[in-house]
Amino acid sequence: MDPKLVEVTQLFARFKAAYARNDLDVCANLLSQLKVLLTKFPSLPPSFQQTPNAVEELTTARDIYEHAVVLSVKMEDQDAFERDFCQLKPYYMDTCGIIPPSPEEYPILGLNLLRLLVQNRIAEFHTELELLPAKALENLCIKHAVELEQSFMEGAYNRVLTARQAVPHETYVYFMDLLAKTVRDEIAGCSEKGYDFLSISDAKQMFMFSSDQELQQYIAEEHPEWDVKNGSVFFQKVKESQPCKEIPAAPVITQTLGYARELERIV
Amino acid sequence: MAAAAVMVSSASALLAMLQEPAAELKLHALSNLNSLVHVFWPEISTSVPAIESLYEDEEFDQRQLAALVVSKVFYYLGELNDSLSYALGAGPLFDVSEDSDYANTLLARALDEYASIRSKASKATGEEEMMDPRLEVIVERMLDKCILDGKYQQAMGMAVECRRLDKLEEAITRSDNLHGALSYCINLSHQYVGHREYRCEILRCLVKIYQTLSDPDYLSICQCLMFLDEHETVANILYTLFSGGTDDTLLAYQIAFDLVENENQAFLLNVRNHLDTLCIPKSALPGAQTGNATDPSGDTQMGDDVDIMNGSPRVVDPIEEARADRLTKIRGILSGETSIQLTLQFLYSHNRSDLLILKTIKQALEMRNSVCHSATICSNAIMHAGTTVDTFLRENLEWLSRATNWAKFSATAGLGVIHRGHLQQGRALMAPYLPQGGAAGGGSPYSEGGALYALGLIHANHGEGITHFLRESLRNTSSEVVQHGACLGLGLAGLGTADEEIFEDIKNVLYTDSAVASEAAGIGLGLLMVGTATEKAGEMLAYAHDTQHEKIIRGLALGIALTVYGREEEADTLIEQMTRDQDPILRYGGMYALALAYRGTANNKAIHQLLHFAVSDVNDDVRRTAVLALGFVLYNEPEQTPRIVSLLSESYNPHVRYGAALAVGISCAGTGLNDAISLLEPLTSDVVDFVRQGALIAMAMVMIQTNESYDPRVGTFRRQLEKIVLDKHEDTMSKMGAILASGILDAGGRNVTIKLKSRSKHDKLTAVVGLAVFTQFWYWYPLTYFISLAFSPTAIIGLNSDLQMPKLEFLSNAKPSLFDYPKPTTQQTATATVKLPTAILSTYAKAKSRASKKDAEKAQEKAEAAEGKAEAPPSEDASTSMQVDGVAAEKKAPEPEPTFQILANPARVLPAQEKFIKFLESSRYEPVKGAPSGFVLLRDLRPEDAEELVLADTPSTVATNVSGAAAASPAVEEEPQPPQPFEYSP
Repeated sequence: MDPKLVEVTQLFARFKAAYARNDLDVCANLLSQLKVLLTKFPSLPPSFQQTPNAVEELTTARDIYEHAVVLSVKMEDQDAFERDFCQLKPYYMDTCGIIPPSPEEYPILGLNLLRLLVQNRIAEFHTELELLPAKALENLCIKHAVELEQSFMEGAYNRVLTARQAVPHETYVYFMDLLAKTVRDEIAGCSEKGYDFLSISDAKQMFMFSSDQELQQYIAEEHPEWDVKNGSVFFQKVKESQPCKEIPAAPVITQTLGYARELERIV
Repeated sequence: MAAAAVMVSSASALLAMLQEPAAELKLHALSNLNSLVHVFWPEISTSVPAIESLYEDEEFDQRQLAALVVSKVFYYLGELNDSLSYALGAGPLFDVSEDSDYANTLLARALDEYASIRSKASKATGEEEMMDPRLEVIVERMLDKCILDGKYQQAMGMAVECRRLDKLEEAITRSDNLHGALSYCINLSHQYVGHREYRCEILRCLVKIYQTLSDPDYLSICQCLMFLDEHETVANILYTLFSGGTDDTLLAYQIAFDLVENENQAFLLNVRNHLDTLCIPKSALPGAQTGNATDPSGDTQMGDDVDIMNGSPRVVDPIEEARADRLTKIRGILSGETSIQLTLQFLYSHNRSDLLILKTIKQALEMRNSVCHSATICSNAIMHAGTTVDTFLRENLEWLSRATNWAKFSATAGLGVIHRGHLQQGRALMAPYLPQGGAAGGGSPYSEGGALYALGLIHANHGEGITHFLRESLRNTSSEVVQHGACLGLGLAGLGTADEEIFEDIKNVLYTDSAVASEAAGIGLGLLMVGTATEKAGEMLAYAHDTQHEKIIRGLALGIALTVYGREEEADTLIEQMTRDQDPILRYGGMYALALAYRGTANNKAIHQLLHFAVSDVNDDVRRTAVLALGFVLYNEPEQTPRIVSLLSESYNPHVRYGAALAVGISCAGTGLNDAISLLEPLTSDVVDFVRQGALIAMAMVMIQTNESYDPRVGTFRRQLEKIVLDKHEDTMSKMGAILASGILDAGGRNVTIKLKSRSKHDKLTAVVGLAVFTQFWYWYPLTYFISLAFSPTAIIGLNSDLQMPKLEFLSNAKPSLFDYPKPTTQQTATATVKLPTAILSTYAKAKSRASKKDAEKAQEKAEAAEGKAEAPPSEDASTSMQVDGVAAEKKAPEPEPTFQILANPARVLPAQEKFIKFLESSRYEPVKGAPSGFVLLRDLRPEDAEELVLADTPSTVATNVSGAAAASPAVEEEPQPPQPFEYSP
């Protein structure tokens, strides 16, 4: 067996051990070493050279990246998630059956969809969805994300929030928590437009906070422009200043006078 | 598994990898992106800022790779400027040898950029634009690579374009075919380098390389030097050469002949003078003194050389003597006398003009129509230009005497055309008509003026011997007609010499403010100062503003235009001044200035300006001239002209159509170009008479020397000319055009063509100037004769070291009929028209093998017989000679036409025929230069054998007859008996 592959498998075994221990720092460290090692394999995307070990290499690499994705969720690092997912994607999309499909494929794809939903990147969400085959939509993980999106779009925020209880995979919890915040932001945006003010209790209910303090904290962090006084939240409507439609009187007058003078000169 | 087709569907993975903190991963991603950028550039383009920031990150060690990727993305986005600047950032990673669209496009871009910066830098040295050193490095790498790969021509072209003479030099010196490379560069510099000064720089560089060679190609060096006007170097080279062995001397002669072909009189004079100063310390003093003493006075052009020889008999040393002899010969060649004499001999002996054509014209014309009458005389002159054959005039003295006043002036001047180049006898020939030293001779001022003009035509561009006499005549007369003739004559004789004294003389005439004389003075001044870009042009311009006479303004306008001949950018100020003038005549002169300053350069700016004037000026004359001037600017690319003027030739304005016709005529003269003929054909039947005239003349210029088997339309055209002349209802204008066209078509006894470029691709000053003044015939018919300056004989003349013609044969690998003389016309009564005339000085090989014995006997006899025919009036002789040859022709009839032909020295070889000419392998002689055309010096391979020379049939003996005949017919002019021919000595 190829020594490089051996090295990678050994390192990966150590990574998995650390992962099992939940030793995240060690994991991250090992992971970056693994990624560097992977660049040495010519059979990996984008070159896809046909080497004798191609299948093993591809499978291992995919496995590593799948773990990387899950790790990033654990570390609650969305950027890393996006990076790792992007690098993982060719193993799903482009290997064309060189290696058998991974059991983790749909959960991770669903996770990605969820992430997009959380980040409120609806357009990309649909792009990703279009790329999936029709039968993938049957999958529980994907279906979950799709339903969430539908509820989200309909404004059925309560359904979104209750969906947290029925996650198909334990990694989803992180994003579901984030989703609650996304929903809150949406509601905040709407309320701002819809009301001049709300009583604190209404606002608390609407923003799904259990205590006034949470609400206060939220307002202080996210919407410092709101005023809390007299037991109500006042939304300082950002009055769109009307575009100034002032008539440029002075220049027009000078120009006209200029023309008149020129005309007199011509005659 | 279709693994081969496996391909990533998106670059997002790689782009994501770029964000990884580890540098190895970034590098991996970048290098993969670099190889995939052609597929995924749309995707990558959204991440370009990220890659750019990598490039700008000082700590990242693969910045250049990042730059390369960005550059490629920008290339695909079509942002070539950004792409180039990043490619420069990529440094050595940008592979100049890569054969991809990307690399090629960017290289072209880089070269363009570099070249434009370089040329800007050379123009405004004050504020030099910052040259990106990286750009320079790329261009240099590119050049080096080309040189390494052996693509020398490419490297030279780029070096020239980028103004990198150092690289040019490197490319040339490292190329495997040094001589080829050098000549390629010379071509390059003439065809593609628009800027005159820069061209000089290139040529200087080339000369430098030439001189470092072990066996320098002196022929090419001297051509370059001539362009650079470095007469001293040329003189030195010639001196060293003819001080050497026989072969070197031959080479020196050949160089001299080639230089003479370019007709740069002032330069040749300087070379000659410098040669003299070189020789003074070597040769005996008395000889040198005589030489110097005779030179300035220079009355007897042929005299000097003889004087030198005679004056130095004390030189005892045989080597010195041989050298002196060679010097004399070189001087003879450089003065143009040798070549003129040989040409004259050739034209005389090979004259094949068809007098029947003239006879038909003469009979068809109405008696009283003086325009057609003088056109016929002119046509005769052109037909016999330089042949010295004036049979037609002698036979029709009474008819000739119908020319009065200015027609008489023209008729007399026509003699000058016929005897063009007859330097020795010129004055004697014209003597009957010349003003008789102060005394008011019986001659009319018209014939006197005409005779002076004729002398100018005879001595055009070689006027050393005659200028003194012309000046005398100018000073001694007060008749404006004589002044007119003398001014033109002086201008012609002193063409381009910029002689101060002559200038003053002519200027005095100009200031008399007489319309007739001053007009000629204006032109004369221009001719004298051709191409000098003299400051006196300002003076002339000021006078043009002062005077009231349109004729004078026109003469001056043309004169000013002539002074800037060939000066390109230098002339821009003057051109600007003239083209912005309120006076349309000066604007018209401005068009000529543009035409002459940018002659044969195909300069885009000039073409643009001319086209602008052609469509936007309010004056018809200016518009006509603007179109016509295009012909001059484009004559180095005759194929272009028909395309450029094709729209103008369909203009509603007849003047523009006329201009278009002449433009094609001028630039395509002598080419027989298909497109040109197709463009002119409809114009020859235009509704406006003068357009027909222009088109007929232009067509004749294009078709000159082509025969029917080369292009069948020539025959149609000849018939059309005949029809126009015979048609009673045809307008005078187009009739005149047809008559002149017949003359031009058969010019110089059918042995000359119109050539504006010499064989070495230089412009022929005399020819261009001649045509420019010729186009003035629109206003002044006598100027038609200037076309004779543009004629150059189509001859190949082999010479041995004594400058004599040895017997020699060339092989022409083409069907004889392709380049044959046109059939002589037959009288209506003659029945058979199919007979092929075979009276040429060569014989078909098959006939030769059959009659080889007979030929050997008759070779000499035959030549003489041919001369006899030419001498006798062919109108009577034509039928008999045809029958004589017809017998032979009928015998040969069933056999197919041979594919080759043997020509005897000196032979008529058309420009198109030159590529078929070969020297016979077994021949005794070997040419000094490669190209078989013009004067070819021959190296004798068997010098021990006795040489057999071609019997020279000099026309001088006939000339005495001619002048005798002219004298014997007092009916013409009632002149006193002319003196016998004599050598004039002061």
